[in-house]
Amino acid sequence: MIMFKPVPVAAVALWLAGSTFAATVGQSAPAFTATDAAGKAVSLADFKGRTVVLEWVNPGCPYVRKHYDSANMQAAQRRATDQGVVWLAVNSTAQGHYDYRSPAEMAAWMQSQQAAATATLMDSDGKVGRAFGARTTPHMYIVDAKGTLVYAGGIDDKPSSNAADVKTAKNHVNAALADIAAGKPVAQAVTRPYGCSIKYSDG
Amino acid sequence: MARWFLLLLAAAFALGARAAGPVVTTDEVHAELVAHAPEGVAPGKPVWLGLAISHAPHWHTYWKNPGDSGLPTTLAWALPAGVTAGEIAWPTPKRLPVGPLVNYGYEDKLLLAVPLAVTPEFKGSTLDVRLSAQWLVCKDVCIPQQGEFALAVPVQAATAIHANAFDATLRAVPHEVAGARTSAELVDGAKVLRVTVGGLPAAMQGKALDFFPESAGVIDHAGKPVTRWDGSTWRADVPISPQRFESPSQMHAVLTSAGEAAGVRVALAITGAWPALAPPGAAAATEPLAAATSAPPQPALGLGPGLAFALIGGMLLNLMPCVFPILSLKVLGFTGHAHSRRSLVGGGLAYSAGVVLSFVALAGALLALRAGGEQIGWGFQLQSPGFIAALAVMFTVIALNLAGLFEFGSMLPSSAASLRLRHPLADSFLTGVLAVAVASPCTAPFMGAALGLAFTLPPAQALTLFAALGTGMALPYLLASAWPGLARALPRPGAWMATFKTVMAFPMLATVVWLAWILGQQTGTDGVTALLAVLVALAFALWAWGRADESGLARAVWTGVAVLLLGATLAWALPSWREAHAAATPAPPGEARWQPWSAERVAALNAEGRTVFVDFTAAWCVTCQFNKRTVLGDAQLMADLQARNVALLRADWTRRDAAISAELTRLNRSGVPVYAVYRPGQQFPTLLPEILTTQIVRDALALP
Repeated sequence: MIMFKPVPVAAVALWLAGSTFAATVGQSAPAFTATDAAGKAVSLADFKGRTVVLEWVNPGCPYVRKHYDSANMQAAQRRATDQGVVWLAVNSTAQGHYDYRSPAEMAAWMQSQQAAATATLMDSDGKVGRAFGARTTPHMYIVDAKGTLVYAGGIDDKPSSNAADVKTAKNHVNAALADIAAGKPVAQAVTRPYGCSIKYSDG
Repeated sequence: MARWFLLLLAAAFALGARAAGPVVTTDEVHAELVAHAPEGVAPGKPVWLGLAISHAPHWHTYWKNPGDSGLPTTLAWALPAGVTAGEIAWPTPKRLPVGPLVNYGYEDKLLLAVPLAVTPEFKGSTLDVRLSAQWLVCKDVCIPQQGEFALAVPVQAATAIHANAFDATLRAVPHEVAGARTSAELVDGAKVLRVTVGGLPAAMQGKALDFFPESAGVIDHAGKPVTRWDGSTWRADVPISPQRFESPSQMHAVLTSAGEAAGVRVALAITGAWPALAPPGAAAATEPLAAATSAPPQPALGLGPGLAFALIGGMLLNLMPCVFPILSLKVLGFTGHAHSRRSLVGGGLAYSAGVVLSFVALAGALLALRAGGEQIGWGFQLQSPGFIAALAVMFTVIALNLAGLFEFGSMLPSSAASLRLRHPLADSFLTGVLAVAVASPCTAPFMGAALGLAFTLPPAQALTLFAALGTGMALPYLLASAWPGLARALPRPGAWMATFKTVMAFPMLATVVWLAWILGQQTGTDGVTALLAVLVALAFALWAWGRADESGLARAVWTGVAVLLLGATLAWALPSWREAHAAATPAPPGEARWQPWSAERVAALNAEGRTVFVDFTAAWCVTCQFNKRTVLGDAQLMADLQARNVALLRADWTRRDAAISAELTRLNRSGVPVYAVYRPGQQFPTLLPEILTTQIVRDALALP
C-alpha cells in the first residue's frame, strides 16, 4: 500500500496560508508560478522591473459581471496594459465548484468579454489566491517594479452589484496606477474588497 | 454564463413583474415588510417597521459587518412627512465559515427591525410606507437581490400581529452592559489587538466567547483569537488583518457565548499607534511566501473514507444481478475442491488477484484515456458495441458449456486443456477477470462517490482506490475459501451437481438477452440480428467440435461446415457492430414525457421557474433499468410530477456523449445512475440515491 499524507495536516497548512501569512502591503509580494489558460507557466518573477496588476476573477460572480458587463474592468485593463503594466487575471475557483471554468472556457470567456489582460491564470488549487489572501471576486492587487505589494483592495469604492454605479465610483486601481506612474507612493494603498467569496478548494 | 444570465433575468422578472406589496419571494428568500405599532401611530408611541427574511436552507444574508466577503442588507425608506426611520437594530449574527474565509450573517429566520420617529407634523389615517431593500443572499454562490415593498399601517388601530417576532429580534440585539471595563492595545508591531473585558454578565463568565468586530477592515476574520479568563476578566489576543484598510481609534465589538440569544456590545478605545496603511517605499526584506511549496489541497472526501466506501461498494457488487451467475460458477468450483483446504485458499487468492488486477487495469486504462482528454467515465467499455457482442458470445459459450452441449476438455487444444488441469489457479484467476468484466457497469451504492473521488486524486491514489474496490468484491469469496468450516458446510459432491450446473446455464442465457437488448439500443435491429446469427453459428460450431466420439472424417466435415458458417456470419456481423450509430430507437409508449437532456435545456427550464428532474442513465446499467421500470415507471408518481410541472429530462449515456460526461464530472460522479433535481436559482442540483424509491423522489420534490 502507498502511504498518504494525512489530510488534517494539509488542511491546517492551508488555513495558515489562507489567513495568518497573507501578503501585506509594503512588503514583498509572494512569489508564485501558475499556469495560464493557454497552458503556459507564468511566474511573478518573469515581470521583475514592471508593474503587475492581479485581478481575481470568476465569470459566475455577479460582482465580476458588474464590472465586465459595464466594460469597466476591460477599460482598466486596456489603460494599464497600454502603459506597459502587466495585468494578470486569476481564477482561483476550485475544480468541481459550479462556477469552475476549464482553461479553454476561461480563455473563451475572456475573449468574449474583449478583455485586455496580459494572461489569465488558472489557480484552481487556490495557491496564489491563498498566498495573497485574496477573498473576493473581484479582489485587486498591485505589485510594483521592485516586487513590493503596493495595493490591495477593491476595484472601486461603491460596493454594489449595480453596473450603473461604476460611473460615479472612484476606481482605486486606476488611481493607484496613476500614483505609481507619477513616482508617488500609492495614496490609498489598502481598501475594502467587495464581491463574492472566492470559491476555494476545501482546505 | 448563459445560465447565470438567465437566472438573473428570471429573478429580475420575478421581482419586477409584481406590483409592490408587503411580500417579495425569490427562490432563496421570502421577504416581508411588517409593522409593529401596538398603540397606533402617534408621536411618542413605539412604532417599528421591519423586513422579515426567511432564508431557504443553507442560504444566508449578512450582518452590518459581513466579514471577508458579502454585503450587508440595505433598507431605503420612503416615508410621509413627519416620520423618520432610525438605524437597523441588527440581531446578534453567526459566524459563517466559507472555505478559508469567514462571514458574519444570518440563516433561517431574520427580522431587521427599524424604529420610527413620528412628529406632530405627520397627518393621515394610514401610514403609507414604501421600502426599497437590497440584499446579497449566498450559499456557495451569491445572488444580489432587491425588492420593492409597500405597506399601509393604520394610524388609529393597534398593529401587533408581529409582536412576538419584534420582541424576539429586539431581545437578540446585542446590548451594552453598564459597568463593563474594556481596554484594547496594539501589540506585536500592530499585528495583534490585545483586548480585555471585565464586568461581563454572570451568564457569560468562564465561557468560551466569540468576538465579532463591527468594523470590517481591521480584524483577520478567519484568524482565531487566543483567549483566556483571568478571574472575571476576559482577555483576547485578536489577530489584525494583514490587509487592514481601516485604522480606527475606537471600535465596537460584540461578544457572544453559546446558548445566549444576544451578545454583549462593547466599545474598545484602541491604544498604541497604527502603522501607516502603506509604509511608502518600506519594502521590508521579508521572505517571499513560497506559494508553490504549500501542501496540495485534498479533496473533500478524504482517502480513508474513500477506501472504506470502495471496499463496501465492492462487496455489494457480489449481489448485483450481473455478477451472481459468475459467483455461482465459483460455488461449483468450491464443492469440487472441498476436500483440499490448500487448493481452496490458493483458488481464493488467485480469484482475488484476478479481480483486483482487472479493476486496476480498467481504472488505469480509464485514467490514461481521460488524461488524453477523452470524455469518458466508468462503464465506458460497455459503450462499445463490439465489447457488448464479445460479452454476449462469451456468456453463450459459458451457458452452452454449463448446459452440457460440449466440454472444454474436448474442445480446447490439448495444451490449453492441460494448462487448465494442471493450473486450477489460472482458472480461478480468469474467473476473477470475468467477474470484473461483467460487474464494471453496475454502479452499486457508494461506488458513485468513491469513483468521483478517484478522478480528483493523483493516479497512484486513484488506482489504490480501485484496488480497494476489487478487494471488496473478492473479499467474501476469499474469506469463505480461507474458512474451511463454510466449505465443509456445503453439500457433498454428487449427482445434484450436474443438475445445478445445467440450471445455471439459464441465468447466463438471460444475461445474453440483456446484452442483446443493449446492443439493440446501440446499433438497432441489424446489430442484434447479426449477433443472434453469430450465436446460432457459434452453437453449431461448438456442437460440431464437441463430438469427440465421431469418426475422423465426419468430424472434419462437420467442423469445416461450422467454421465456414461462423466465418460467414462474423463477416456479416462485424461491420454492424463497429460503431454505435445514433439509431433512432422509437421511444416506448409512456416515454414521451421524458425529453432529451442538455445543459441548456435545464437552464432554460429553470429560468422558466420549473424544477427539472434529470435521469442520467444507460441501457447497459442494470441499476438504471431497475429504477426506470419500478420507481420511474410508477404511474401515480409520474402523474404527480406532471401536476407539479416538474420537467423530466433523460441523459442517455448508452453511447459516448461528451456533454453528459462533462456534467457527471461537474457533479463529481463518473458513472450512472445519477438522479438530479435542478431547482431554479440553484447552481448545484440535489442528488438522489442510486437506488430510488418513490418516497425518495416524493420527498426530494416535496410531493404529497
